[in-house]
Amino acid sequence: MKCAEVRQFVRLYLDSELDNEHSFEVEQHLESCPECAGLFEAEKRFDDRLGRFLRGGGMTRPLWEKIEAKIAPPPFTKLRRLWPVALAAAIIIAAAGMFFAKSRTLDLANAVEECHSAYVHQITTPEFSGAVPEKIAQQFSGRLDAGAFAYRPSEPAFTSSGARLCHVEGVPVALILGRCAETPVSMIVLKKNELDHFPRTKRKLESGDPIACSRSGHFQFAARVVDDHVICVVGDTPRPALEKLLKTVHRTDG
Amino acid sequence: MDGDEQRVRFLSLLRPIERDLESYSRRMTFDRRDFEDALQNAVLRAFRAFDRYHDDASFRAWMFKILTNEIFAINRKRGRVAQFEIAVEPEEIEEFAGLEFGSEVPLSWETLADALDEELLAALRNLNDSERAVLLMRAMGDLRYREISECLGIPLGSVMGNLSRGRQKMRDTILRARKRSWL
Repeated sequence: MKCAEVRQFVRLYLDSELDNEHSFEVEQHLESCPECAGLFEAEKRFDDRLGRFLRGGGMTRPLWEKIEAKIAPPPFTKLRRLWPVALAAAIIIAAAGMFFAKSRTLDLANAVEECHSAYVHQITTPEFSGAVPEKIAQQFSGRLDAGAFAYRPSEPAFTSSGARLCHVEGVPVALILGRCAETPVSMIVLKKNELDHFPRTKRKLESGDPIACSRSGHFQFAARVVDDHVICVVGDTPRPALEKLLKTVHRTDG
Repeated sequence: MDGDEQRVRFLSLLRPIERDLESYSRRMTFDRRDFEDALQNAVLRAFRAFDRYHDDASFRAWMFKILTNEIFAINRKRGRVAQFEIAVEPEEIEEFAGLEFGSEVPLSWETLADALDEELLAALRNLNDSERAVLLMRAMGDLRYREISECLGIPLGSVMGNLSRGRQKMRDTILRARKRSWL
């Protein structure tokens, strides 16, 4: 590179805008040319002097303190940034509330859901059809009667495959396994005085509602009092259909 | 990254360049109220947009760009419209490339009195907006030509031309001051 050429690159070189190849050539020339090196040195000092002037003047510390204070996230900003967490928390609380509300209102629904689920998954099968076997009756311990097994819906779509004795929260119940238009439906019958074990359901039924309804897990639940028994029906069927089915339940033994 | 972590990180990047940002704002506006407003608006805007800042970019260039936009916004409000839409003219590049840094350049700037600062300030005021912005962004912001071009929305050739003319005017001021000191 000749002097004239090198001097054309002075600013690009000092501003670090030259590519490596040209930078190397400029540096090589400056090493061997004191005149050009002097010019480059002078221009560098001009930069330094101009920079000193431009950067001169102290920093206004109070101004920066004021500005920095403003970028501290205020509480509402923090909350706004946390809205996804807040939303999730709200959903969890609401869900818990709903769950809690459900369980408060219809504790019996939750208790019998397990029975029906076992039936749906064929874990529970009927023990007998027709009259209650003596062997089973001996297990009532005075807390259930054979009449509990005599209830059936008059709804023609309902067919029963049999019944068995079960215990729900320690309470002996009659479990009648059936289907309503191919959908498994369980009917659970317990003595009315056993409702003390399910105070929420008891309050609901004593509050004047003839039928207590709820959803428990995947299933709909409906219950009503017939004479001295509580009849529950559980199934993955629409609530109106379940209520209609429940209304048709009656004793078949007399 | 939560709000506090983001703030700490933002401040750790901001503090080393606060002085330069302040000087730049001061030199670009020449008005105390305006330079403070521009600075404050820029920092707040940058902080709000900090989640869009990427580590691979220069924080310094990013901040200078935001500050420059704030300064232009204030200038527009004050009726001081910057003229940056300068067409690229080939002679600009030739002029830049052909600048002569010959014997007129003094070798001892340090000998000049601080009084020169006042003359440099006057010279800076006399630069047009384009020359001043480009000069300040390069000299104070250490922005690359390409970054200045993107920041101001002007062609690369205009950046080089304005930088060349701005420097020459400032250089002339220093030379005149030095000659006077010799008399």
